[in-house]
Amino acid sequence: MAQLPSWMGLAPALALGLASLVLLLSDSIDPDTTNTPALAGISVVGSLVALASAVGFIIGGTGVPTSEGGQGTPVLFGGQLVVDQMALFFMVIVASVTALVVLASYDYVSEHSYQAEFFALVMLSATGMTLLSAANSLATAFVALELVSLPSYALVAFLKKNRGGVEAGLKYFLIGAVSSAVLAYGISLVYAATGVLRFDGIATAISSGTIQTIVDGSVQAQSGEPAVPMSILGVGILMVIGGVAFKTAAVPFHFWAPEAYEGAPAPISGFLSSASKAAGFVLAFRVFAVAFPIGDLLATGGAINWVVAFQILAIATMFIGNFAAATQEKVKRMLAYSSVGHAGYVLIGLAAVSASGEGLSFSISAGMSHLLVYGFMNTGAFLFIALAEYWGVGRRFEDYNGLGKEAPVACAAMTVFLFSLAGLPIGGGFFSKFYLFQATLNVGAWSLAAALIINSALSLFYYSRVVKAMWIEEPTGERSIDSYPMGLYTAVVGAAIVTFLLVPGFNQVSEIAFQAAQLL
Amino acid sequence: MIPAETYLLLSAAVFCIGLFGILTRRNALIFLMSVELMLNAANINFVAFSLQHGNLTGQVFALFGMALAAAEVAIGIGIILVLYRNFTDVDVTKATTMRW
Repeated sequence: MAQLPSWMGLAPALALGLASLVLLLSDSIDPDTTNTPALAGISVVGSLVALASAVGFIIGGTGVPTSEGGQGTPVLFGGQLVVDQMALFFMVIVASVTALVVLASYDYVSEHSYQAEFFALVMLSATGMTLLSAANSLATAFVALELVSLPSYALVAFLKKNRGGVEAGLKYFLIGAVSSAVLAYGISLVYAATGVLRFDGIATAISSGTIQTIVDGSVQAQSGEPAVPMSILGVGILMVIGGVAFKTAAVPFHFWAPEAYEGAPAPISGFLSSASKAAGFVLAFRVFAVAFPIGDLLATGGAINWVVAFQILAIATMFIGNFAAATQEKVKRMLAYSSVGHAGYVLIGLAAVSASGEGLSFSISAGMSHLLVYGFMNTGAFLFIALAEYWGVGRRFEDYNGLGKEAPVACAAMTVFLFSLAGLPIGGGFFSKFYLFQATLNVGAWSLAAALIINSALSLFYYSRVVKAMWIEEPTGERSIDSYPMGLYTAVVGAAIVTFLLVPGFNQVSEIAFQAAQLL
Repeated sequence: MIPAETYLLLSAAVFCIGLFGILTRRNALIFLMSVELMLNAANINFVAFSLQHGNLTGQVFALFGMALAAAEVAIGIGIILVLYRNFTDVDVTKATTMRW
């Protein structure tokens, strides 16, 4: 096969970006268009092209060194972006979630105005997520993160006459703005301490203990070899953790999540809680695995032990998310808190690491696999909520009573999502949690293992409340479901099929994830 | 040359003023201004250490930072506008249709 030019490695991001520009163009030609099929079609095609190209690159061996029989890793723009296997893996997650969300939005937005803007914002945010997964420098990471965040703020407040939606958008924006300022300040401190923003340069500065600079694209020590001020670096790393915690909806920056997910249009809640969370985690994985290697960090003076920080955050996030979810009365809000809890599970990927950095590849790959499965099962669950909102079913658990008799297919799909989220072997969620559990055992992190088990057991309780309401309880009031929206149904059923197929297919996924994590 | 520590103190002070404003003020517009202060504290660091390190990375990031801050304010003002239309106030504590 002929060698493709290296910029082609960004094809997934380019496809999503191009789709958003086409949508904006069509909007400027015909601002009041209500041609939902065309708009949703452009978005679905864009995200499917992105998905296909990312899957094709993974299978074709892009991101694997040529010495191991791959196509080599495209490094673009002077090392600012790198398309390795991990970047492609996360591009697959983002593109699939985007495809499901825009497909479902077809029915959801068809009665609203500003449809082209809606789809364009979703695609722009998805472009930012794909770029974020390839970012190899704190500068590109920050710009990509803002490209993810800014459209999401607008999307959460999209129903601008809905008081709940506006309130959700406001809270999301306020906390997001503060945390991006914290992240920017953290990045500035890291730059002050190391002299570079590229991840490999920061890693060199930490391992050698001298401030680095980049000359002609290669990292070298600054003249005079000044020492890295470890205290400044430590504060900087702590603030970067804060910025990442916001994006992934982890404690202590999780307050926005229940509000934003509850107030936002349900497809957007699914988009934010799956794709946006995955994008936050890919940044976290790459920054902490590549730029701040824990072994070197502790060996050269110990600026900060981020593994301990992530252990505390993971345990706190798991308990707060799951216990809050167990006390909710509204289904969407329960899912929002459960999404916080799942951020805690994935944080194990950075917490189940020994002091010398052993076990990092395995735990990160477990986190990656969980994010992939989560991308389908959680998006699917939120899209079922979108379906319920479309039918005008209420928001509380009791309102779902007897729904299984009227919409058996959708309710069966929802049952798959919920049990998979809880970790039963009906969907891929069982295996990904099992891998996370194994990652904690590998390094003997008993507190993490215990927290994972306790919270999974607890989560089964509140997930099965919905299942019980749907299938066992008798309907309390009159309800008539007269239409079965095609886009929403396709998305929900498709997500359920993939969640189920990830049971036999999980081995392949985890192998790819493990290879990607090892190649970091 | 002014020592780098001075710039760090200045930027830390600006950052803390911004943080203080966010924690104590209830007006959404003042909230936005406080966020700007925090972002500009980062820019002070970038520009100061760009000179200190003798490379342009920090200055370029400062330019990006300003552009992003402007974009963020544009979105923020839009959200505050719809907030005012729905709640007839820009007090961030008034919007409480949901509770945790």
